[in-house]
Amino acid sequence: MIPLDELVRDIRGKVCPSSLLVALRNINENIEAISQGKLILKIITDSRDAMVTIPNAARNMGLESQVEKLPEGHYMLSITKDIEV
Amino acid sequence: MQPLSGMILTIAALFICGFLAGYLMHRSDFCMAGAFRDLFLFRNSSMLKSLLILVATAAILFEIEFLVGLIAIPFPFFGAPTYFGLFGGILFGFGMVLSGGCVVGVLYKSGSGSRPAMTALFGLVVGSGIYAEFHQTIVPLVSQMELTTSVTLPQLTGIAPFWWVLALAGGVLFWVRRWSRTGRLQRSFGAEGYIQPWKAALLLALLVALAAASSGLPFGVTTSYLKVAALFEQILAPQHLATLPLFNEQSVIHTIPFSGEALVGGAGPVLDVIALLQYPLIVGILLGAAWSSARLGEWSWRGHFPLAQVLTVFLGGILMAIGSRIAAGCNIWHIWGGLPIFALQSLLFLLGLFPGSWLGSLVIKRVILGRANG
Repeated sequence: MIPLDELVRDIRGKVCPSSLLVALRNINENIEAISQGKLILKIITDSRDAMVTIPNAARNMGLESQVEKLPEGHYMLSITKDIEV
Repeated sequence: MQPLSGMILTIAALFICGFLAGYLMHRSDFCMAGAFRDLFLFRNSSMLKSLLILVATAAILFEIEFLVGLIAIPFPFFGAPTYFGLFGGILFGFGMVLSGGCVVGVLYKSGSGSRPAMTALFGLVVGSGIYAEFHQTIVPLVSQMELTTSVTLPQLTGIAPFWWVLALAGGVLFWVRRWSRTGRLQRSFGAEGYIQPWKAALLLALLVALAAASSGLPFGVTTSYLKVAALFEQILAPQHLATLPLFNEQSVIHTIPFSGEALVGGAGPVLDVIALLQYPLIVGILLGAAWSSARLGEWSWRGHFPLAQVLTVFLGGILMAIGSRIAAGCNIWHIWGGLPIFALQSLLFLLGLFPGSWLGSLVIKRVILGRANG
């Protein structure tokens, strides 16, 4: 299934634990579209802890996540049903 | 050893301990505010497990150091427990969750370029200045609020510290084996250069023990925030500074192990024994975290956060400063230094951290989700 859309959230520089809270809210609001492979949620963050907590939360919700380090030293988490898409 | 070379050795040892601690905390994101907050906000206790490992390891190391005559237990400046320990813990727990980091957490985060953490640091300095205004009101109440004259649990019960350490270490070892078998000790991670928090906990305990052997005290940083507040007041309002007893008294006498020299100190804006013991740690933590993040290519001057978050973080810093003053120590002092020696004031402080963090979790969730642009 090819994702039709992607939702990008930039949480860089926000107070802890913004990354996980915002990620959870956006996952919950779009769980159906993400689960059906229609949407990829991308979280841009500078929180190293989010690299542990968000993938764990996504896994618990039956989703998968992929971590990518951006050239400026921040991270982008892609949350999707199928990371290979 | 000559007093001067002894002092230089102490400063160097504390700086190295601080530098390595800053490096480790950044790599493992060893955030104590997060440890307590996540228990309530996400029902996640993984960082608390690592904290428990740190406390048990430090307890073993302190006991060994005590038995070979390297340190005195209880550490100097740990007093009898008062209700202020509990109140201070509640206030501190609330403040550290609002700030997104404790007194040391905001240091390592500031070192890696976080502006929210720097805002919290500024709040800590302002809060310290506010506390100085009502310090004289608190002082007479402390003795009235004393629960017992015993400083530690071993003193209170008459059971030797060795047995308490053995019981703690045995209990933690039992749980660590269980967590290890069920995979709850190891965290899956995606950040580059990540160090597992349980490994960081073991190394941090070692650093706290080294700092104790070098200075006679565990990690402590918060009196320095008072000193910075005093420095600002000296520049901006020197006449007012002269009226504040807290900033004008030399309340501390401490003997430096390496030099054997007894030095005095206090919260005033001068270079004294407090500065000698705390400034190297603070600078070390800042630089250690900066070094770690720079090596990973992650250092950046970052933070465009909404006004509500700015105010919340700043308020959190103020509350942390006041909480640590009325509890006679911050979380690092009490949890990394006091709990391993079973100090009663530290146990009360810990007890207070839970309701404080719970309350902070409720507020921070509203602040973030109420204002988040996502």
